[in-house]
Amino acid sequence: MSKNKKRMIKDGILQGITYLSSTVSLITLLAIVLFVFGRGYKLLNFDLIVENFESQGYVADLFDDFIFCDCPATIDLSDDFYYSEKWGIALSDGTDLLGKNIIEIEYIHPDSPFKMVQDKGIGEEPIILRTDYDIIRIAFEDYPTALSRYGAKNMIDSLNANNSIREIEFRTKGGGVRGSILTTIYLIGMTLMIALPIGVGAAIYLNEYAPINRITKLMRSLIETLTGVPSIIYGLMGLAIFVPLTVNLTSATGGNLISGALTLAVILMPVIIRTTEESLKVVPDEYRQASLAVGANKTQTTFKVVLPSALPGILTATLLAIGRIIGESAALVFAIGTSIKDDVSLTGKSTTLAVHIWAMMTDEPANIELSATIAIIIIFIVVILNIIIKIISSRYLKQKMGASS
Amino acid sequence: MPDTLNYYQKNNSKKGLIIDRIAKNIFLSMAILSSSFIIIIAGIILVRGIIPFTTDNLGIGRVSLLRFLTGNTWLIGQTFASNLYSIGFIIASTLFITILSLLISFPVGVLTALFIAKVAPPSLAKILRTVVETLASIPSIVFGLFGAGVILKIVYDFSALIGYQSKGGNSILSVVIVLALMTIPTITTISEVAIRSVDQSIERGSLALGASKTQTNFKVVLSSAKSGIFTAAILGIGRSLGEATAVSLVAGGRRSGFSFDLLDTTSTLTTIMLEGLKETTGIDYDIRFSVGLVLMVVILLTNLLLNAVKRRVGVVNVKE
Repeated sequence: MSKNKKRMIKDGILQGITYLSSTVSLITLLAIVLFVFGRGYKLLNFDLIVENFESQGYVADLFDDFIFCDCPATIDLSDDFYYSEKWGIALSDGTDLLGKNIIEIEYIHPDSPFKMVQDKGIGEEPIILRTDYDIIRIAFEDYPTALSRYGAKNMIDSLNANNSIREIEFRTKGGGVRGSILTTIYLIGMTLMIALPIGVGAAIYLNEYAPINRITKLMRSLIETLTGVPSIIYGLMGLAIFVPLTVNLTSATGGNLISGALTLAVILMPVIIRTTEESLKVVPDEYRQASLAVGANKTQTTFKVVLPSALPGILTATLLAIGRIIGESAALVFAIGTSIKDDVSLTGKSTTLAVHIWAMMTDEPANIELSATIAIIIIFIVVILNIIIKIISSRYLKQKMGASS
Repeated sequence: MPDTLNYYQKNNSKKGLIIDRIAKNIFLSMAILSSSFIIIIAGIILVRGIIPFTTDNLGIGRVSLLRFLTGNTWLIGQTFASNLYSIGFIIASTLFITILSLLISFPVGVLTALFIAKVAPPSLAKILRTVVETLASIPSIVFGLFGAGVILKIVYDFSALIGYQSKGGNSILSVVIVLALMTIPTITTISEVAIRSVDQSIERGSLALGASKTQTNFKVVLSSAKSGIFTAAILGIGRSLGEATAVSLVAGGRRSGFSFDLLDTTSTLTTIMLEGLKETTGIDYDIRFSVGLVLMVVILLTNLLLNAVKRRVGVVNVKE
């Protein structure tokens, strides 16, 4: 009896350990999600996706024929906002991504003289002030300049005390990730255009044509070896082959989208080949025989019978590839570079979302908030991709079972 | 393809045959291209990696291969203009970190796999499997960010608690934790497959002999699945050795002297490669390829060693 009890206790402990171990994964996932949302939700809005990363500064003046607004606000303003009826503008205190005090434009009355201002720089066009701009300073004739660090209240008081301004300096918000999102999208498109045909072609050869011999086996194991190569080594390869290649052939001066796409294509090759081949394998041989029996040649059979049946597998490979491209960082640090750019071109420098995080985190001071926001975007996309892959594979399985029964 | 098909192929028109031959050759060339990449990668890294040892590096002087592999000072940068590039201590700390992280991730990963496959009720197992799959799909840079934002703070507070001033938490311990968290899903997924494929009759035999369910799980199922579990460990080690960006955010960077101190800063082969990022020419550019070459050799040797061990450990009949 006591021996039995001892065993039960021992079993209980062992079982408890397995419970405990599995909570580690659960806690890790929860902690990561809580962390990125906790730190990143503040910056998460639609503007982030369409805004530039670099903020652009302007110095401007009012038009000579401006008239005072003298109008009450047409919308309800929060208590934190300071509104000047004379000028028709509401300002508030805020902090930028680096924690510095800034003055944000919260509201501009349609009749305000600030609605449209004259660029004092090289620009000819008048600038329309938008509510997401930050004001750096407003200078007056014979009056102390209202700087952003004195706060929004001081700036509104100064405005109310004056009847004209000398100049206003403001800047766009910046800190957006439009450039990196565009780069990531371009990169996904270009990489798939290169990798899919080659990968699917190689899979077709290996599954449909290749004789069973030593050479085929060697080919398979060479391709399989690629999966074990760390991505930073791919990055070095991109740096040594594709970057010089594109620099010589195009106007590029360093890492660029093309060299990045070529490098990623090599990384994705084993994934695409394996997934495609697996889906080719489950296409029943009867399909091929039937097609050949009605007079189609092998090429027609491959393209019109085998490939369409393997389409879900190819789609899965594509989605897996997209997930990998979005998450890849180490290889792209070398193959594309780490310069965060708003103007994206094929041969110019720009970087993807994942490398954007890395570049900001290795910079001084590290920008954890914006990095966490980008991480939210990345995790969101990756989870969606995973769900789609699951749906495809479960539907496909059902279809297969239905066909065989 | 089965030989029976050749009969039908012979009946095809001549034009069809030519198209077939062209198509086959196109597919063949794609397969050859795909399988040649690994050779190209190894070749280019080798060719670039030996430059610092064979040329005088624009006047700095040849880097001694022996000192490169065994020394413990990494004096990078044009200001030093030295050929004192040694990564002996970095190789050691890379292996040290990998072993430590495996000591955490391997038991946790395997036990989680056992829990999902055998212990947990089906609904809980399904939830956990989704959790592990999601973790596995989270990119490494996000783990790095998590490490920099959360684990560094915890390690810093912990070291302050025991009266140690760590450099903002950048330490071996942080790297080990980040790597362990990253490799747990890999190990779990592969171990689970191995555990599931253990023959039911082995399990039933154990139960029939009077062993409890838990005893069977730990003594019979795990040892029957050890070949697959070993593969999981090999993949986990590979991932730890090759991880770059996540590690670079929590390592702190160390230029000389190997340290066993868990709370001290460190460098790994991958972080040292990322450090010389801005260089475009000269030895600081070329030396990265040498480090990459060493990394590849280290991974290759570890894999060979582990696979030899795996063969020795042997395979219990996992499937008939």
